[in-house]
Amino acid sequence: MFFYGFMQRAFQASFLISLIAPVLGLFLILRRQSLMADTLSHVSLAGVALGMLLGVDPTWTNILVVIAVAILLEYLRIVYRTYSEISVAMLMSGGMAVALVLMGLNEGGTSVSINQFLFGSIVTISEQQIWLLLILTITIGFLYIVFRKPMYILTFDEDTAFTAGLPIKRMSILFNVLTGVTIAVIMPIVGALLVSAIIVLPAAISMRLSKSFNGVIIIGIGIAVIGMLSGLTASYRYGTPPGASITLIFIFIFGLTSLLKKLSASSRYERLNRRRNITGDTN
Amino acid sequence: MEYIKVDDLAFHYEDEPVLENISFEVNSGEFVMLTGENGAAKTTLLRNILGLLKPSKGSVTIADKNRWDEKLVVGYVPQQVSSFNAGFPSTVLELVQSGRYPRGKWFKKLDKEDKEHVRRSLESVGMWDMRHKKIGELSGGQKQRISIARVFATDPDLFVLDEPTTGMDIHSREEFYKLLKHNSKDHGKGILMVTHDHEELRHYANKHIELIRKEDSPWRCFSMDSCKEPSKHHSLSH
Repeated sequence: MFFYGFMQRAFQASFLISLIAPVLGLFLILRRQSLMADTLSHVSLAGVALGMLLGVDPTWTNILVVIAVAILLEYLRIVYRTYSEISVAMLMSGGMAVALVLMGLNEGGTSVSINQFLFGSIVTISEQQIWLLLILTITIGFLYIVFRKPMYILTFDEDTAFTAGLPIKRMSILFNVLTGVTIAVIMPIVGALLVSAIIVLPAAISMRLSKSFNGVIIIGIGIAVIGMLSGLTASYRYGTPPGASITLIFIFIFGLTSLLKKLSASSRYERLNRRRNITGDTN
Repeated sequence: MEYIKVDDLAFHYEDEPVLENISFEVNSGEFVMLTGENGAAKTTLLRNILGLLKPSKGSVTIADKNRWDEKLVVGYVPQQVSSFNAGFPSTVLELVQSGRYPRGKWFKKLDKEDKEHVRRSLESVGMWDMRHKKIGELSGGQKQRISIARVFATDPDLFVLDEPTTGMDIHSREEFYKLLKHNSKDHGKGILMVTHDHEELRHYANKHIELIRKEDSPWRCFSMDSCKEPSKHHSLSH
C-alpha cells in the first residue's frame, strides 16, 4: 500500500495530525470546549459549500469562514459564560443550516461531492494539503513551546491568569483561530462528522494515563500516532471510511486503557490489603 | 506605600445594588482582613478590586510598582478553583512551579533559586511530601494549601486571598496567619484577606473592614460602616 502516492500522502497527513491533535485536544477538554471542534467542523462545511458556490478553492473559503466563527465563539463564550454550550448549539446548527442552504443554491453546479467532506477521503489528499498541514504543525509546535506555560495557567484558572497579567482574551482568540484552521485543514481528510473525535479522543485517553501535564501531551501523541496509522491501514484494507476507522480504534483504546486501569487499581488495592493483613497478623 | 485604593466603589448586578460606598486602602506592610456575613458580597468586592468585575461607580486603583519601584506582582487565591475537581492533569509540583513562570520569559527554565522557592512554599504549607501527587487526588484542605503554596511561590507584593483557610485545621490556620504576618511585617507585603475567622485573625491583622447590610436599602446591599475610614474605625493593630 505504500507504493501508492495517495497512501503515502495519507500516512504523512495522519502523522502530522497525530502531532497536533493531542495538543489542541487537551486544551479544548480543559477549557470545557470539547464540542467547539464539532461546532467548527459543521461550520467548515458551510465554508466548503460557499467555496463551491463561488467557484473558488473551498480550502480557503473554509479557512476564512472557520476563523470568523472561531472569533465569534470566543465572544459568545464570554457572553454566555455560565451556559457556554448555548453558543455551541447556536453555531453548530447555524453552520449546518448555512451549508445546506448554500448547497441547495448550488444544485447541479457542484463538482466535488459534499460526502467527501462529511466522511473524509484518503484518496483525495493533495500535495497542497500536506504542505498546509506541515506549516500548521510547525506553527502549533512553535506556539506550544512558546506559550505552554501561560496556556497552562490559563486553562487551570482564567481568573488566576488574568490576575497574573496574562492577555487572556487574545490568547483565547488565538487558540480558537488555530483550532479552527486545524479543523478546516484536516476536515477533508477525516470528515466533518468525526474530526472532533480525532482531536479530542487521544487527549481524553492520555488524561487518564498520566498525572502530569507534559505527560498527557507526550502519551497523547503516542496514542494519536498508533490510532491514526492503524486506523488508516484498516481503512485501506477493509475499504472503510478513514475517519470512522480511526475513531473506532481510539474508542477501543479508550475502553482498553480504562479496563487495564481498573484492573491495576483493584490488584493494587488487593496487594495493599494483603500487606495490611500480614502486618496485622504479625502484630 | 498604597498598593490598593478603593474609592467610593459601588457595584450593581443588573439594576440591583450589591455594594455601595466602599472606600479603603491597602498599603505595603499592611494586613487587612475583610469580613461580613454570608452573602455580603465579599468575593464580589475582591473581584471588583482585581478587575474581574467592573465597578458600577467609583474606582479601584492597584499600584503599578512596588516599593522597590519594580512591577507590582499580585497573588490571588480564589475561593474555589473548578479545575481542581475536574481531573486537571497536573502534579502538585507542576502547579506550584507555575507560580514561578516569569511573565514574558516563557522560554526560561526554572533555575535553582526558583526550585528552592517552590520547595520552601510547599514546605510552608506542609505539602512537600505530596508534590508528585495528581492535584485531583487531594482533599479539599490540601487543594487549598497548594493554592496558597502557589501564591507564595509567586512571591507577590500584594496577596489577595478569598477565604484561603477553608478546610484547614486550627493549627494549620495559625501557622498560615503567622506566615502572612511575617510577610507583611518583615517583607512589606500588602495583604487583603476575606475571612470568617475574624476572631482568630484579629491578633494578626492591622485593619478590619466589615461589610454591613444597608438597612435603608430595599435591596440586599452591603456597605462599609457609614463609609468611615476603616483603619480608624475598626483598627485592630497592636
